[in-house]
Amino acid sequence: MRSIYFLGLDIGSATAKAVLINEKRDICSWAVIPTGGRLLEAGEKVRRDALEIVGRVDEVHVEAVVSTGYGRELVRDKTRSVTEITCHAKGAHELMKDVRFVIDIGGQDSKAILLSKDGLVERFEMNDKCAAGTGRFLEVMSRVLNIPLEEIGDIAVNSGEFAKISSTCTVFAESEVISLLAQGVDIPKIVSGLCKAVSERVYGLASRVGVTPPIMLTGGVAKNRGVVYWLSKLIGSEIRIPENPQIVGAYGAALIGAESYLNLSIK
Amino acid sequence: MSVEISELLKPFYQVFEDLYRFAKDAKTDGEKVAGYFCTYSPQELLHSAGYFPVRVIGGLGATPLADQWLQPFACSFAKSALQAGLSGDFSFLDLVMFSHTCDTMQNLAEIWRRRVSGLEVVIVSTPNLTEGDIPLNYLMKELERVKEELERISKVQITEDRLLKSIEVYERHRSNMKSLYALRRKNPSALNGEDMFAIVMSSFLMKKEAHNEMLENLIQSLKALPVKDVDKPKVLVGGSVCQVQGFIEAIESAGAFVCDDDLCMGSRSYVLPPIYDGNPTEILARMYLSRVPCPAFHKPGHDPASYLLDRVVSSGAKGVVFLQTKFCDPYAFNYPHLRRTLEKEGIRTLLIEVEQNQPVSEAFKTRISAFLETLQ
Repeated sequence: MRSIYFLGLDIGSATAKAVLINEKRDICSWAVIPTGGRLLEAGEKVRRDALEIVGRVDEVHVEAVVSTGYGRELVRDKTRSVTEITCHAKGAHELMKDVRFVIDIGGQDSKAILLSKDGLVERFEMNDKCAAGTGRFLEVMSRVLNIPLEEIGDIAVNSGEFAKISSTCTVFAESEVISLLAQGVDIPKIVSGLCKAVSERVYGLASRVGVTPPIMLTGGVAKNRGVVYWLSKLIGSEIRIPENPQIVGAYGAALIGAESYLNLSIK
Repeated sequence: MSVEISELLKPFYQVFEDLYRFAKDAKTDGEKVAGYFCTYSPQELLHSAGYFPVRVIGGLGATPLADQWLQPFACSFAKSALQAGLSGDFSFLDLVMFSHTCDTMQNLAEIWRRRVSGLEVVIVSTPNLTEGDIPLNYLMKELERVKEELERISKVQITEDRLLKSIEVYERHRSNMKSLYALRRKNPSALNGEDMFAIVMSSFLMKKEAHNEMLENLIQSLKALPVKDVDKPKVLVGGSVCQVQGFIEAIESAGAFVCDDDLCMGSRSYVLPPIYDGNPTEILARMYLSRVPCPAFHKPGHDPASYLLDRVVSSGAKGVVFLQTKFCDPYAFNYPHLRRTLEKEGIRTLLIEVEQNQPVSEAFKTRISAFLETLQ
């Protein structure tokens, strides 16, 4: 009997993610690519990338495609679309059954999700419009400071000290950074201050929902050690990071697809 | 939905082509048109003075002219209304009536008087305490004063008979709207939320006489429909938005069914006890004081949370979506109590802060969809 698969596609503002799972709910392959301006094409490409890992694209038997992320409605041939809030909760719960709180920091928004003991979404909050407390904030700052995005976290953690960044607004924070540079403040201190600023916004959001450990951080920004450091310090609790925090939403989507197919109740 | 009912609904939707189309047409025909800012404005007085009263509703778009006069923490409704006033969009109005409700509205009235030219400004100083003899006597005197002011401006004598006739038209309208709300309880599938809000919006922007006729025809046809529930998750929309249409449409296209509301731009303006006997100003004063109070008002003994809970339970809503206009302080003060009360009863809630002059965002749709996923 040939294997059947379930595909989760998470088309976010910064990256598109695909996760392919089998009937046993194991992750068989995954892929992450930058979304760019063309959401539809990014969705197609990331899907192909994930499928190619397990075999010839046209021979991989995908039984259900569940899309999520802000480009979820654009995905062709989807079985259904589900919001990233439900998908992150689903994925996080599957990875660590006791997780009660998920913080997802993505490219253009951040979310705080309170889960019930059974992994159902109890309550959630999303950031409002503005880019403060999102990956975009760090992207803008990495350009201003001319430091690669992926190095920001390590620089922050090794800094030991931090500069105070008080503007909530990304554009104003950018001018604040430029002022700090003009004053001759060390770059690592500024970088650490920026990670703290992102964490403070997210902490405010999470507090509105009511932080309940154990906590998992998902989304691309979870790879930033500086943000993880500051966020756990502010919350006063350890934060768990899954092996691949970026694909938790797509994994949750794939699981929802599998459960629908296997006629299980969707949790 | 039957062809007949969708035909009957069409005229209600006409307001979305241009909110003030009916007002502008009336003006072109030589009638006097009055805009009012809040449903505590006694429209019956305007009507009896020969005006066609239309509710001022904020519009979409940036508000550069209004931003010169209003602080950043004034709500988007006040800003978009002032923007329309300053840019001449209300040139078809002969008069605007403000009622003292929240701080922003009180100050907007004064800014309007000084900055928007070409129309009369009438301010009704409604008491914020709405229970007891003192507020009643005060409001009766205030309404007498407003009546005289309107007589002076309009040069129409508002006789007792004229005013009673206007009250009758408005009371018939409230009673029709109440019937429609009751009918939705009994037969949820009769009208969806979008249809209901087309009716609600048009009720503030069309002549009450014409609206009454349309409503009565519609109610008659709806009553003949078989009683059927809907299979979508039912939600009640509460909060403090005035421009609701885009939001209701977005909520329903995400898969919900808006079965009821607790909005000023909705049931709160219509769910009033029947009118009392007495002289016309006493009737009006008692009626405006006895209505479900706006969050800017205080009515001892009225608990907004138990009132809301009753509506939720009787409408069969599984969840409540609060659409709160950013910087609407009176509503923000009420909200924690409302949410706690509902959640204690196992009713899920979602709060979304909105700016009325901005179109519905993707993030709004995602939140609604995620909320609906939690209801399933």
